[in-house]
Amino acid sequence: METLTTTIKSHCVGTTAVVYASDYLNKLTGEKIERECRRQLDSGCRALVIDFSDTELVNSIGVSILLGIIDVAQKNGAEVVFSDVNNQTIALFDMLGLTRLVALAKDENEALTNLSLMRPRPVVH
Amino acid sequence: MNGLSSNQGIRRVLGRVARHEFVGRSAELERVVAQASDQYRDRGLLLLMEPAAGVSELLRQAYDEIFDQRSVVVPIYFAFTRNETTAVSAAIEFLNSFLQQYVAYRRNEPSLCHLALTLQDLLELAPPSDFDWIQQLVESYERQRFSNDDKALVRFCLGAPQRIPKQSGRAFVMLDGAQLADQLNGSVILGTEILRVFGRANVAYVLAGLRRQILQSAYDAKLDFETIDVLRLEQLSVAEARLLVERLAQRQRLSVSEEAKDLLVQQFGCSAFFITTFLQAAREKNTALASYLDCERLYVDELLGGRVQNHFADLLEEIAPTTDLRLALVRLLWESIAGDQRVASFEACRRRLHIKADEMEIILQQLHVQEFVNWDGSVVEFANGPQAWKDYLKTRYRLNVMNEPRALVVADALADSLKRAPHTMARHYKQVGRYELRDLLSRFDCQSVPAVLFNYAEFATRWKGAGLEETISGIGVETNMLSLPQSVHVASAASFDSDLRQVCDEHRCLVAHAFENGVYADAREIVWLAAEVEAKMEATAEVVELWCDRLDRLAAAAGFRRHQIWLVSNEGFNDDAATVLGRRGVRSSNRQQLDLLFDRIGPPASPAIHPVEGGDEFLVVVPMGEDNELLAANTVEQIARRLSFRPEAINQIKTAIVEACINASEHSFSPDRKIYQRFRVESDRLVITISSRGVVPTNIGGNVIANQNHEADLGEERRGWGLKLIRSLMDEVEFERVDEGTRLRMTKYLRNSST
Repeated sequence: METLTTTIKSHCVGTTAVVYASDYLNKLTGEKIERECRRQLDSGCRALVIDFSDTELVNSIGVSILLGIIDVAQKNGAEVVFSDVNNQTIALFDMLGLTRLVALAKDENEALTNLSLMRPRPVVH
Repeated sequence: MNGLSSNQGIRRVLGRVARHEFVGRSAELERVVAQASDQYRDRGLLLLMEPAAGVSELLRQAYDEIFDQRSVVVPIYFAFTRNETTAVSAAIEFLNSFLQQYVAYRRNEPSLCHLALTLQDLLELAPPSDFDWIQQLVESYERQRFSNDDKALVRFCLGAPQRIPKQSGRAFVMLDGAQLADQLNGSVILGTEILRVFGRANVAYVLAGLRRQILQSAYDAKLDFETIDVLRLEQLSVAEARLLVERLAQRQRLSVSEEAKDLLVQQFGCSAFFITTFLQAAREKNTALASYLDCERLYVDELLGGRVQNHFADLLEEIAPTTDLRLALVRLLWESIAGDQRVASFEACRRRLHIKADEMEIILQQLHVQEFVNWDGSVVEFANGPQAWKDYLKTRYRLNVMNEPRALVVADALADSLKRAPHTMARHYKQVGRYELRDLLSRFDCQSVPAVLFNYAEFATRWKGAGLEETISGIGVETNMLSLPQSVHVASAASFDSDLRQVCDEHRCLVAHAFENGVYADAREIVWLAAEVEAKMEATAEVVELWCDRLDRLAAAAGFRRHQIWLVSNEGFNDDAATVLGRRGVRSSNRQQLDLLFDRIGPPASPAIHPVEGGDEFLVVVPMGEDNELLAANTVEQIARRLSFRPEAINQIKTAIVEACINASEHSFSPDRKIYQRFRVESDRLVITISSRGVVPTNIGGNVIANQNHEADLGEERRGWGLKLIRSLMDEVEFERVDEGTRLRMTKYLRNSST
């Protein structure tokens, strides 16, 4: 696993930002994700999908940073969905109570679909 | 001298160790030897020694080097000992030693220095070219001896080196233990006489002794300070003291563990004297020093009946010759040190000892010389002295004043030193942590550094989460610079306000007196108040307010005209805290900013990484940091696969290892910055042991694990989950307290985890 030179990939789908976590989520990579999420929120995104498809290992510092991201998103009124999280990582998130705070999705598409359903539709008279 | 030197081949004449085994003091040795050269001809050198710093071997090594040079300079070494009772007998002994060493040098026969020779023997051994003047010297001495003029006899003996004829060379006299010279009986004060004789003679000399006493004697002898040089001899550095322990252990074939070596260095405050004495005792008793317990057992033995006890008992006997007076003195000293009354008047001390004023003066003078008290002529301040001194006083007080049972005193002394040992080491390891705020502040010298290094909020906005290279490169092109003041004095804030000891380690809260732009004017004077805030995550506004109030109060109480608060928090400060920092004009940095600052204004200490020999088990040693926990995780993955653990179980083991490594790195203040991982494969399980040297985390063995089956409370501390996770992921987790830090043993069974 190479983490030192990792850059965080992301893209936007409408007002949703999809941010890709790296293979090892620790303090360094966690802060990079946090930075990217803050940047996306500052530029107007209303929802965050953090994709864990490449993530093999998460440590407790990484988890604490994810909690910080959730806090920031909540303050900005943005939803957060974690997608493509492997079973071991789900167990870890469960253990530390993260799954109470975010929705999980099978993959990025499911996350985007779920988010579009969660958004309040404009009232038409 | 560290390691081998070009002087390794020097013959040992008086030196007790070979040159390559002589530890530390290389600069001092060079300076002492230089004193014998023409450059310092006819000048004196006062070697001012901190008590128990050890100087004798330094002088003996210098002697050997000069002896080996075979120049016109004849080295003479003489140590005053407690065996001599009068100034006259000490002076006669000096004359004898001088002649013996002179003849040994002239004949180039080092062994002559160690023989028991009379003056007649020496006369017979004298080379023909020296026979006449030595014969005259001996005859004069015989006449002087019966003249009943002690002072004249003493001066005659001490002046003997001046009688060497020019063509036969010139003497270089090194006198050791000068403080003892003043304590000899008789009408002559030898210490002062020595300085009078040598200070006015055309002989180069070194006078070594306790710093307070030598300086006083020099003033008493009305020495011309323009003709003497001064060299201060303090305790060895930590590295030198540790090397001394290693060399002594090796030479005496003693088994001493790494932990014990570090403990001895710290416990004895790097004192060459105490370290040497202690290891000699270990050798005599054939005691291996494998653990703190081994060390402290021997220490207590020594304290109550060994060399340490003898050392202090001798000192006390010299200071207070009668038993009653000694007991009263022990009582006065211990009750003052143990209580709050560290300062007392001369009269109060005198009354407690029931002695006359002149007797009290002598006692205080001697205590002052030994640095057990600070006495300025009126007020007596009871100094702490070395730990061994305090322990000695306490045991004597309990045994001899309070008449407590010896067994109880021994048991308590052992328990106390055992309890103290981890704290002693913890204090040391915290001091040698990744950076030292004191070191950083001391380096402030008008450098221009990026202002963002003192503004966490701005730093975080721009570089939090950025790679190191990106950050360094960004910092490198910063144009908003801050000019650091020139720091002239840095001290612990606890020295200004002792209450601060309750809330912060002494070296983590500091006061630096400084001048802006290096201009020494009132308007440019500024005091930096720096504190390292303890916080696992970003420090909060409440913490910042608390520290700012605390430091502002300190500044007001101390009367600082202008001050600048600088708070440091490993993980920085949260948004609310940043607002407070901005409002109160406080500078702020996290660890990364500090590291970058170190890069700018001084080299950071880099831990040494040494290869580790392999063993029967899988053993992995990784340096802390740099994601090295992944190396361990990947290793255990390979091992676990061989045992057919399921992928899920493998992932659990990997996570547990990662957490254990993070825990070790974050909490241990490790001296070697290494994590030791041992993987033992058994038929039905994998046993992993993670250990590191350093401070024992306070949460180990506490209640952190108690609620392991409950979800973490997200509203509370988000960090510190490592142990909880490890407990949840592994089948058995066991903490084993060792002398330094902890050893974490984790077991994963195959029964439910195999494929």
